Amino acid sequence: MSGLKLTGLRKNYGAHQVIKGVDLVVEPKEFVVFVGPSGCGKSTLLRMIAGLEEISGGDLTIGGVRMNEVDASKRGIAMVFQSYALYPHMTVRENMGFALKYAGESAANIARRVNEAAKILELHKLMDRKPRDLSGGQRQRVAIGRAIVRHPEVFLFDEPLSNLDAELRVQMRIEIARLHKELQTTIIYVTHDQVEAMTLADKIVVLREGLIEQTGAPLTLYDDPDNQFVAGFIGSPRMNFLPAVVKNGALTLPEYDGQVIPMPPVAAKLAEGAEVTVGIRPEHFRTGGSASLDLTIELIEHLGGESFAYARQGKANVITIATGTGRNWASGERIQATFDPASVLLFTAQGARVR
Amino acid sequence: MAGSRADLRANLTGWAFVAPALTLLGLFMAYPILWSLYMSFQTGKGMNFKFGGMSNIYRLTQDPVFLRALSNTMVFLVVQVPIMIVLSLLFAAALNNPKLRGRAILRTAIFLPCVTSLVAYSVLFKSMFAIDGVVNDSLLFLHIISEPIRWMIDPFWAKVLIIMAITWRWAGYNMVFYLAAMQNIDPSIYEAARIDGVPARARFFKITIPMLKPVILFTTVLSTIGTLQLFDEVNTITASQGIGGGPADSTLTLSLYIYNLTFRFMPSFGYAATVSWVIVILVGILSWVQFQVAKDR
Amino acid sequence: MSLFSRLFSLLTQAMLWLAAFISVFPFYWMIAGATNTANDITGGKFTLGTNLIPNITKFFELVDVPLVFFNSLVVAIGGTVLTLIVASLAGYGFEMFRSKTRDRIFGGLLLMLSVPFAAMMIPLFVMFSGVGLMNTYFAIIAPGIASIFMIFYFRQNTKAFPSELRDAARMDGLQEWQIFLRIYMPVMRSTYAAAMIILFMTNWNAYLWPLIVLQTNDMKTIQLVVASLATAYTPDYGLIMVANVLATLPTILVFFLLQRRFVEGMLGGVK
Repeated sequence: MSGLKLTGLRKNYGAHQVIKGVDLVVEPKEFVVFVGPSGCGKSTLLRMIAGLEEISGGDLTIGGVRMNEVDASKRGIAMVFQSYALYPHMTVRENMGFALKYAGESAANIARRVNEAAKILELHKLMDRKPRDLSGGQRQRVAIGRAIVRHPEVFLFDEPLSNLDAELRVQMRIEIARLHKELQTTIIYVTHDQVEAMTLADKIVVLREGLIEQTGAPLTLYDDPDNQFVAGFIGSPRMNFLPAVVKNGALTLPEYDGQVIPMPPVAAKLAEGAEVTVGIRPEHFRTGGSASLDLTIELIEHLGGESFAYARQGKANVITIATGTGRNWASGERIQATFDPASVLLFTAQGARVR
Repeated sequence: MAGSRADLRANLTGWAFVAPALTLLGLFMAYPILWSLYMSFQTGKGMNFKFGGMSNIYRLTQDPVFLRALSNTMVFLVVQVPIMIVLSLLFAAALNNPKLRGRAILRTAIFLPCVTSLVAYSVLFKSMFAIDGVVNDSLLFLHIISEPIRWMIDPFWAKVLIIMAITWRWAGYNMVFYLAAMQNIDPSIYEAARIDGVPARARFFKITIPMLKPVILFTTVLSTIGTLQLFDEVNTITASQGIGGGPADSTLTLSLYIYNLTFRFMPSFGYAATVSWVIVILVGILSWVQFQVAKDR
Repeated sequence: MSLFSRLFSLLTQAMLWLAAFISVFPFYWMIAGATNTANDITGGKFTLGTNLIPNITKFFELVDVPLVFFNSLVVAIGGTVLTLIVASLAGYGFEMFRSKTRDRIFGGLLLMLSVPFAAMMIPLFVMFSGVGLMNTYFAIIAPGIASIFMIFYFRQNTKAFPSELRDAARMDGLQEWQIFLRIYMPVMRSTYAAAMIILFMTNWNAYLWPLIVLQTNDMKTIQLVVASLATAYTPDYGLIMVANVLATLPTILVFFLLQRRFVEGMLGGVK
């Protein structure tokens, strides 16, 4: 199986730059997920790797071979599209074998490889149906099957689960994870769903406006984000961000009636009067600690196993608090939300992490 | 540049797909249009022509036959198009009622005339409206008239006949556009209006008609273009002895006049081209006016 | 229901049935006419007569019917097939390979759409007679092949062709022309079917241009034959009605067999 190397990859549409120089190494057999808000360029980057978009600058190598100008069908890749892109006038079998026919494979070979893929995906009962006679999940499996048949070095997935309902999405997610284990191929997967990213990826690549914000293992990105953007993007519900000022060896929160929380250890090097953003994950409140905030609960959502309180002080932003079961809390109640000051993250006014 | 070679190839492929059409259009459309524009400034008979400047345009203003063809065409346009559009809308609105019995049959029947060829239906009308033909007979029988109408002899009734014929042929055609557009209106809009207590008539005028505006505009422009080019009917229904536009040029249209100038008389290509550009300009002006009217409302 | 609304609904129904009667009556008139003598027809007889066989015989004696029918079919089928190919290629090309220049050209085409045929008729006539191509099938068919309306229609419908399908085909190793042939054409077959019906009808019913181009009787189409019979000094309506039935039958058949597609094709441009 091949790895990929992207060096200074760029894409321009006229004067407009959408990918602004991306450097990335994908190891063989690695499962890499591109995430980012819509318009960040994650799909464009994937299509550049696929050969569906021209590369304006930089280098792309797959398995050590430069691929910039190589035709999409000859890069040793296969792609699963968001809308599945099954040929509506062909049966499942024809759909799966179509690429091999154009690669000049013999009929016997095609049949063998199609059957092989059908077995892996349990498609054999559906082989002679047309795509319109299949359910969403079945179409998805055929689309994956069509990719498997080609024995690609690299699999590309473009938001493959976004057209499925919630339950099927979980099922297919598990199936894709299983396939990765079984096939041992390199996978690049684009999604805007960070749960998919967290659960599937060996490595997550967070993109914003055509640039990589951070690359790393899912939990690394969660625990140790490089900047405020990544911290806000990874984790659900979102991390709370509170503006603060360093004053007299503590952090004062001007928007929260000037409440004071103790300095976390990393803040020691900050100068008096420095403006920072304090990042507290909702779940940090669950364990409690020496720091506390006086807040009024505005709304409480009970999910059964977990409850989230949305609380605020004055006109400041609402703070999301994970409360465990939290059944004895009620809206309108005044609370003291406690947390460990060592667990919070600090960011500069520019959004960089203070470490 | 790395990408530019592939871009160039995609661009060439794009040209390859449109090339056959563009070649044909250049040859059989762009070139004739330019040629006729050029010709409209030439005078002379047959293939002997010379530059005449504005003389063709001057000739237009002095040519009683042209002025008659122009006024006939405008009469057809101003009377026939509104009548037909209103009729089509009425039919569509009535047929859009799902509780109506025989809906499919009615729709098919009213639509059917537009599958006939212009020639075929013209001939039918010609025979039905003969002086002692089936229409006069029926009207006499029903005591609507006391003596037969001279459809193809009286200039006024000849125009009426042409207007009825075009309306017969095209009302159902336009109706299908309106019906399709009405069926695309979200029924919950009507449900909301009913809950709001909007009466049926207001629902039609305040909801249906405004929502159909783009389609009405589209069909009006198409009908205008069609009527300005009216030819087949007046060259058949009101033709006698092989010459159309009768009686006494009372149904002569611009297109028919162009045809006559070119093929019936000693060909006068330059002047005929000038007349054809009158149609082009009329189509342009009227389409523009219709777009403006539709925009303001 | 109130009295007023019941009355209103009755009135609407009466209007519709009257309109339907007026719409259909000429068709009946045509069929009845084919069985009557010329005098009966102009005299307003609308019941079926006994003159059908003499009318048919006379028509076949006067006109080489198989030849005329053949001419009409060649023109209609030839024109339809060629237009389908050229217009769908162009519609696909304009939509799938967007470029500033091509978008501008397409805008120019839409402008040309409003130029009436009358303005082109004379130059076309001079062109074809100049190269000696008058009185040929080619001359009737050629000017209509690159139909702007059909290019527009195919471009509109191509917007519904999923671009991911094209991407998938490219990754499967197909060339652009193979994508058009193997994927686009089969996927878009209902678009083609609707266009085909409209084109067949337009070509079958064409009158003015064939009237200009065709000069000899052995090239005439059925529409020209009907028209020339009808504008004769003393038209014989009995045999004209027979001719008329033959001239109308193909389009009516197409209409009844493919009613839904037919309407789809008509509406194609406005979607």
